[in-house]
Amino acid sequence: MTHPRAPRLSRRGLLRLGAAAAGAAVLPSLGACAGPTGGPSPGTLVLALNRSLVSLDNKLNQFDAAVTVQRAVRQALTRIGPELTPEPVLADRFELTAPTEWTVRLREGVRYSDGSPVTPGDVATALEMYRQVSGSFLATFFPEWPRVEPVDDRTFLMVTERPLPVLDYLMANILITPAAANAPEELQSGIGSGPYTVTAANRGTGTYTLRRNDAYWGPAPAVRTVDVRFLPEESSRVVSLRSGEVDVIDTISPDSAEQLAGLPEVEMESVPGTRINQLFYNFRKPPDHPLSDVRVREALSYAVDGRRLVEDVLVGSVTPADGVVASSLSGAVSTGEYVHDPRRAREMLAAAGIGAGDLNLTLIWETGEFASDTTVMEAVLQMLREVGVGVTLRQFEPGGDIPLWRQGRGGDWDVIGNGFATPTGVAITSLQGMYGGTAEREETRDTYHGYVVPEVTDLLDRAYAEVDAEARQALVAEAQHAVWRTWPCMWAFVPNSVLARRRRVRGLALETTNCYDLAAVRLDG
Amino acid sequence: MTTRSAPAPAAGAPAPDGPPQRPSRVTARDLARAGATRRRRSATARLWAGAVCALLVIVPVALADLLPIPGANEQHLDQRRLAPLVDGHLFGTDQLGRDLLARVLHGGQVSLTIGLLAVVVSGIIGILAGAAAGYFGGWVDALVSRLLEAQMSLPLLMMLLLVVALFGPSVPVITFVIAIAQWPEVARLTRSLVLVEREKPYVDAARVLGLRRLGVLVRHVLPNVAQRATLVVLLLLAQAVLLESALSYLGAGPERPAATWGRIIADGQDYITTSWWLVTLPGLCIVLLVVGVNLLGDGLRDRTRRRRPARKEAVA
Repeated sequence: MTHPRAPRLSRRGLLRLGAAAAGAAVLPSLGACAGPTGGPSPGTLVLALNRSLVSLDNKLNQFDAAVTVQRAVRQALTRIGPELTPEPVLADRFELTAPTEWTVRLREGVRYSDGSPVTPGDVATALEMYRQVSGSFLATFFPEWPRVEPVDDRTFLMVTERPLPVLDYLMANILITPAAANAPEELQSGIGSGPYTVTAANRGTGTYTLRRNDAYWGPAPAVRTVDVRFLPEESSRVVSLRSGEVDVIDTISPDSAEQLAGLPEVEMESVPGTRINQLFYNFRKPPDHPLSDVRVREALSYAVDGRRLVEDVLVGSVTPADGVVASSLSGAVSTGEYVHDPRRAREMLAAAGIGAGDLNLTLIWETGEFASDTTVMEAVLQMLREVGVGVTLRQFEPGGDIPLWRQGRGGDWDVIGNGFATPTGVAITSLQGMYGGTAEREETRDTYHGYVVPEVTDLLDRAYAEVDAEARQALVAEAQHAVWRTWPCMWAFVPNSVLARRRRVRGLALETTNCYDLAAVRLDG
Repeated sequence: MTTRSAPAPAAGAPAPDGPPQRPSRVTARDLARAGATRRRRSATARLWAGAVCALLVIVPVALADLLPIPGANEQHLDQRRLAPLVDGHLFGTDQLGRDLLARVLHGGQVSLTIGLLAVVVSGIIGILAGAAAGYFGGWVDALVSRLLEAQMSLPLLMMLLLVVALFGPSVPVITFVIAIAQWPEVARLTRSLVLVEREKPYVDAARVLGLRRLGVLVRHVLPNVAQRATLVVLLLLAQAVLLESALSYLGAGPERPAATWGRIIADGQDYITTSWWLVTLPGLCIVLLVVGVNLLGDGLRDRTRRRRPARKEAVA
């Protein structure tokens, strides 16, 4: 009698079966990973910045992306409005009452989040702290620091040695903090008079949590909580926005804009910017260096095919510069254009005694300095090589030691990829910040890449001191032409300010200065 | 109990020309399904699959300069991000209109050069240090072992990034740091192999014959452990390539515009939703190479294990 052989489950079969069951169990979980990781909670707005917000103060640095958040916590006497003119914030009167004297009156009822009032003493202390801090970006805009003379509880005079007719523009960047809590450094915490207060801050990761200031003196903001995150990788910001993890991302390259365009849940905002991005020469070269020769600087600019860069690399998201500051600034004039003419470049280099292969340049930049920065630098490398100029690229990651290099203390370089923001909206302050260097400032390396040209400095000094608007504009225009003749840049362009947001974010009005009023933002859902 | 002869010739019937075989119930099918046979087949399959995968990447990379492809840094801004197989670009083009195949192949040259140099250096350091520690023992062993433990307790990638940040991202620096990062594995294995070998009679015999300790180590012990240690070094090649790609991806690779696999992927990730090939194709190359080298190493290791007893029989 034979027994039918019962089907046996071998050990291998059992293992296979187990593996299949485990796979089936894990698969749905893996599928979940592909979906959104969870959006912000209702009533919370999440911003993802491309630069690390190391502080909610701006004494040392003022990145475009940071301005929106900084102004939500601390405020200035004025702000630069959409028309690039000063608008009152903490002050309701800001008036030039004498050539060297401004009369300022604080708005009735302005107070900090702890309920204490804003006083003229806080303004005086703020100016003193900004003056004392070393290496400040904003300090370069001030030809001299005004003195505060209180008149009464709300009114005070701002007095200067020489006329300073753009003081109302400049004061838009001096953030006011209670005098007792202020210090000559970037403040990490503390209170402000803005519509939000800081409830959590991590300087290392660049994350901040802001909560609505219930004691705000103005209209209460609609959004209860704002989370600020630092996402340096553009692709990460784009993916986070698409998945709904963040609500607003800024500084978007044209290629990322292309990825976001047409998505039903995402909207793009774009306005002409006030920032100028430059390939700026190092003006700290010895006199016998080729770059100290203006003909060489001019010749190198003919090697750069700006049209190609604008149309193909930057996909029309920028405007080629036709001057030494952004053309959107008040008082900016056209001084010339960057022309692509490689033959002329070679001829001029040869006339300056530089043959093919004789000149080798080091180009440096920090990742994220401007959208598509790396692509632009690599494209320029090939363009320069085509006229016989060797190029070495040196890229710095954010947080690296490029600030030392900028000051000429980290190492030698020839051209820097650099962006210069003009938060005041006027050309004269931008010119002062970039081209108003003096020999004294250069001793402490506080000039813009060593740019010290006495003729330009003199013109700017005269322009700053000129009370008559027309005469001042004439001097500003003359200064711009004088700067252009020195060929400070190999190439420059003005990027549009671009921002992407989820559709649930309403009331966000991106301004030319690449910031927006956070208090005006609303959330649907 | 009776014994039946198996029907299959391999299991009992005399082979036509060979010697008569022992009758057995083990059929050819049983033999084919046996664990040893399966492992041998699997090792052979891994060997071949690994060789094919690795060669699919290594051969084109090695011949990159001879292939009719554009230069790796040749830009055509009017041909940005062309899809694969468009306008004669097999892998498409990148964000600067550079041929992606050329970038991947030349990037592979950089990655493989760094990887090979790094494993050679780490192999030499690891084998020498491990052999010395295992054979001499005492303070040499203590010193090498503590060094190994100290280094293995450090976070590897952080350490590499720190060294590259300090000394600059050049090919020699990257090669050196990867080599330094990998020597502990080789050293540990070599030490354990030498510990076994030094107790064997042939070592005593060599000592009795008057050879010095160093001579015994170099002439007798090292040749006996070199083969197995070399296999580990081969496996480290995959890890070295991955490390180089990771460093490049994190911005610590050779200076631009030099192409490396990690950098191509890092640059391409900004376009991942519109130009998939910028990330996928170089990623595929890394996967092929790493999987190939690992399979090859596994296959060779298994083959080496199988051969050892056979050799003993031959000697006997």
